[in-house]
Amino acid sequence: MTDFSVRSDNVDIEQIMRQIRSRIREKRGVDYTEDEIRELANVKLEKFLDPRGVRSDLLEQFRRKREASLPPAYNFEDTTLYESHRGWLRFLRRLLRPILLMFFNPNVVTNALHMQSKLNATQAALEPLYYEVIHNLVLETTRLGIEVKNLKMRVESMSSRLDFDERRARALEGVVQYRPGAVPPLQPPGASGGADRPLTEAEQAERRSRRRRRRGRRRPGDRFDGAAGPREQGPRGGRGPEGPEGSGGGEGARDHGAAGADTAEDRGGARESGAEGATGTGDSWRDPGEGGSGN
Amino acid sequence: MKLAVVVQRYGADINGGAELHARYVAERLSRHAEVEVVTTCARDYVTWRNEWPAGVDRINGIAVRRFPVRHERRPDHFGRLSRRVFDHPHSIADELAWLDSEGPASPALVRHLARTAADRDFVLFFSYRYYHAWHGARRVPAKAVLVPTAERDPAVALGIFGTTFRGVRAVMYKSHEERAMIHAAAGNQDVPGVVVGVGSEVPAHTDPARFRNAYGIRRPFAIYIGRIDENKGCKELFAFYQRYAATFPRGLDLVLVGSAIMPIPDHPRIHHLGFLSDRDKFDALAASDLLIMPSYFESLSMVALEAWALGRPVLANGRCDVLKGQCIRSDAGLYYERYEEFAESLYSLESNGPLHARLGQNGREYFVRHYEWPVIERKYLDMFARLKREEADGRARMPMERLPGWLSRRRRDQPAAAELLAAIPSGAVMPGRDSEGDLSQSA
Repeated sequence: MTDFSVRSDNVDIEQIMRQIRSRIREKRGVDYTEDEIRELANVKLEKFLDPRGVRSDLLEQFRRKREASLPPAYNFEDTTLYESHRGWLRFLRRLLRPILLMFFNPNVVTNALHMQSKLNATQAALEPLYYEVIHNLVLETTRLGIEVKNLKMRVESMSSRLDFDERRARALEGVVQYRPGAVPPLQPPGASGGADRPLTEAEQAERRSRRRRRRGRRRPGDRFDGAAGPREQGPRGGRGPEGPEGSGGGEGARDHGAAGADTAEDRGGARESGAEGATGTGDSWRDPGEGGSGN
Repeated sequence: MKLAVVVQRYGADINGGAELHARYVAERLSRHAEVEVVTTCARDYVTWRNEWPAGVDRINGIAVRRFPVRHERRPDHFGRLSRRVFDHPHSIADELAWLDSEGPASPALVRHLARTAADRDFVLFFSYRYYHAWHGARRVPAKAVLVPTAERDPAVALGIFGTTFRGVRAVMYKSHEERAMIHAAAGNQDVPGVVVGVGSEVPAHTDPARFRNAYGIRRPFAIYIGRIDENKGCKELFAFYQRYAATFPRGLDLVLVGSAIMPIPDHPRIHHLGFLSDRDKFDALAASDLLIMPSYFESLSMVALEAWALGRPVLANGRCDVLKGQCIRSDAGLYYERYEEFAESLYSLESNGPLHARLGQNGREYFVRHYEWPVIERKYLDMFARLKREEADGRARMPMERLPGWLSRRRRDQPAAAELLAAIPSGAVMPGRDSEGDLSQSA
């Protein structure tokens, strides 16, 4: 269940962390931090999106263009036309304003420009929001791309696991199939005296010795030692059936289990289903699924 | 030997990191020397309001001499000055104004130190970033031993503190990461220094069953001890734990000890016990399976050391350089930087008995080797002996650098401290596993 064994007196935390990370990487396929996702969103977008449709430096260009194209903040009021830093000129313009009005009506121009300056201000306020929306969309798209990639890997993993299970099921069926003459057909209870008849001394001894032989065949690697988890002792990780296909399947089960579903979440799911909830023995300590006492 | 311990606040009920550290060190060193604590009348570290009477007091058998603070801190003004010196090019005068604004400004305390310096062998200044340490160390540089208690914040890169780090007789660091950061910021490799940390009063016997009965905690649990605060990484801890709990419905519970200043999720497996007495705290730690330290910034986690002292492994936030470094050097804790690592590491500690036992044992050994009080005391006494030897040998010490003149001091030639800090390398320091307390550099 856990990823590493503690066999000697020395543990190396960095090595354990490397193992933990490699397990996570194995499971997730792609392992990105938030910063890396941001970096990818800014630089290597074409890896995840259609390069013909979206420019990889979209955000950078957007930001640059926006900064370059921003007009200076310009307020246009009714006095703007007549303003001057020279006081006497300002006074003269104000004095001659009635004469100007005789030629054309500057108020219309003033109103239009005033309105335009207000529109500019509104637009300037909205642009950062547009930028933020686009930025977030790009980030989210990148994240989704990664997620899709991960999901694809998981589907592949699940399908290979399913293939294996089907092969194993077929192998098991082959082992237990009825062979005439080898084993008497099953009889309902009480139909013949043989099923309920008490075993003789010789039969009991034979059963005991058979059981002992079976125990003796267990390999030392089947013992839970911290590196191998209960899953590896459980049905999936146990020895395969003894048929030609079955024995290969047993090994495959161990390999497959290690590569495919060893992260904590998967283990939790497995425990929930109860299929792999066997607790370890010997060196094993406590399985969270069992909720044993702490101290 | 006569020593003075100078710290910004001091009291039996003050539990701030540096202040508690100073009290522990003063009380321990009082077994070997005559110790006087010199501090202010302030109790509150935000306002520095004078709350204790000026004069001499005794706390746990130690003489404590208090001096009034000249002015309280004005948060707006301090915030404005902080932005100026941290984020913009500025002058030395700006930094001095920032220091004065930060407080606790107590010129009377500094005058007292200068007046009594001849009667003392050494003066230990705690917390480099406060008024008392900067002005005090400049007034008595020949006796000054600095305990910086520095965290990775922009203040460490301010120009005025470089002179302090380079000008004191010795620096007692809390961690390797702190030493590396200060070396990079101030270039004080020539100043004698030692990574000493701080010990803890861990009881010889704990009673986990008593704790379980008293608080009705039946299930195995991981524990967090400290202020329950977003700045301590608790928000992330809650988010991660809730995901973990959903994945492992019968996994470890989470017990929180400490006052909460953020909402705690309403979750059947999260138990908040509030502030506990030391006895309850240690019993809780002994009853736990492991300690979780989600904090991003720690100069030294005393509670992690206490967990190790009791043989409990630690699961720490790997983004905190100090915690990560300690986990690696001690081989007594795992660390995480994101949820997947949190889940895998917690699960490993929870389910792998041999690993749990080995990390616990490593932690106990690490504590005994580096953080038991006799070890800490010995490091201080060795440093004092070394400084005395150097004095007797007539070996020259670096003089405290003078501040620039009136005009130069006002020249805006100091870069933004935040930029300087960003250029300082970060990350856990990995020296030899047994060199926790090695002297950094000979004088």
